[in-house]
Amino acid sequence: MNTRAVGYELVVFVTQWGLMLVGFGILTKLIAPLNLVNPSSSLGLYFDAAAKALIALILSVTWLFVWDRQVRIYFRRRGK
Amino acid sequence: MASLGANTIAILIALGSFPVSLALTRFFMYWNLKHGIIGIDIHKLNRPKIPEMVGVAVPTTIVLFAAIYAMVGGSSSIPLLAYCLVVGLAALVGAVDDRLRLRGIFKPLLTLLCGLPVLILGLAFRGQVYTSTLHVPLFGGYHLPVIYPLTVLVAVSVTSNTVNMLDPLNGSMAGGISIVAGGLLIGSLLIGTGSMSIFLYASLMFSLLGFLYYNRFPARAFAGNVGQLSIGASIGALAILGKTEIASIVAIFPNIQNSFFFLSRIRRFTEHRELTSKPTKLLPDGKLADSEDPRAPLTLVRTLLIGRPATENEIVSTIWMLFLTSTSLAVITLLLTGV
Repeated sequence: MNTRAVGYELVVFVTQWGLMLVGFGILTKLIAPLNLVNPSSSLGLYFDAAAKALIALILSVTWLFVWDRQVRIYFRRRGK
Repeated sequence: MASLGANTIAILIALGSFPVSLALTRFFMYWNLKHGIIGIDIHKLNRPKIPEMVGVAVPTTIVLFAAIYAMVGGSSSIPLLAYCLVVGLAALVGAVDDRLRLRGIFKPLLTLLCGLPVLILGLAFRGQVYTSTLHVPLFGGYHLPVIYPLTVLVAVSVTSNTVNMLDPLNGSMAGGISIVAGGLLIGSLLIGTGSMSIFLYASLMFSLLGFLYYNRFPARAFAGNVGQLSIGASIGALAILGKTEIASIVAIFPNIQNSFFFLSRIRRFTEHRELTSKPTKLLPDGKLADSEDPRAPLTLVRTLLIGRPATENEIVSTIWMLFLTSTSLAVITLLLTGV
């Protein structure tokens, strides 16, 4: 068993957990209170929700990208 | 005190899931073997034939005990009905896949539909099945009246498929998800969520432990898609019903990593059996090693084997340890959320 790999996985998990909390914090405190589209207009509520969902999606992709880089940098260097 | 009593009753009823799941697993082992429903354990040198689809014991037990709890526990039957329908539908999709070998794309599409009971019953009985407020650790929460109902469908599909993808070795899925359910049960008890979610987490954990007895190394029973998809859907539905959305994501970090690296390499939904480049290989001494095939996906098991082969038992123990870590983080997440 590659014990260094196991240790590295644990570091990756803790890092991703921390980043996830920060991401949800950004969504809660900064993005959610914004009125990106006038909610009083027709379908405004839905466009506003869609715009915020898009921001959340971008944050999620960024989070997965950081995860990807962390794993690849270590395991590609060690394994190949 | 009343809450403590309700939780104690919930856990005591759920405890019955263990012997029932154990008995049902044994029954399905013999029945499936007799009817030729078998798979090959490719990670053993002698490639033994093992009864497949035995994981059906878990959703059967879960649904049975949810019905008992609805009658005895005095809890609202609407969320329990939603939960049972989600688990039952996912089991059905899994069973169809086990028998008909569906193409890889169909599983995520069909499991999207499995979340519909939660969505429909949630809309019909507002506030009884879920609330559209997402509780965030440290930062409070926010109301998502439009987005939240849609994420219900995605949540069930993602959890069921990601659990389905991390069951390559004996006991890896059953043991891992037992740890997840156990951790979220402890977290729910600590923050004092309703007794219904405590019952459902306990029931899931005990059902899985009953199945794990026969699925652990060397396995005498395989879960099959019927077991894997329903257990994953159960985690997704429970995240919604028990308000443990973010903690549940954290708890299944090992599944997420495995699925993400599988999909990022293969770039399409496909079955493991259809892969031409395998991530691991079996050595003549019975140990597993990295296949060193650059086209093969970087699965979780492969990352643990890079440079050093290991026995199947060692790898599974390590996977459980990773689940223990992610579940500990999930419990901290729940405490920080403090719903």
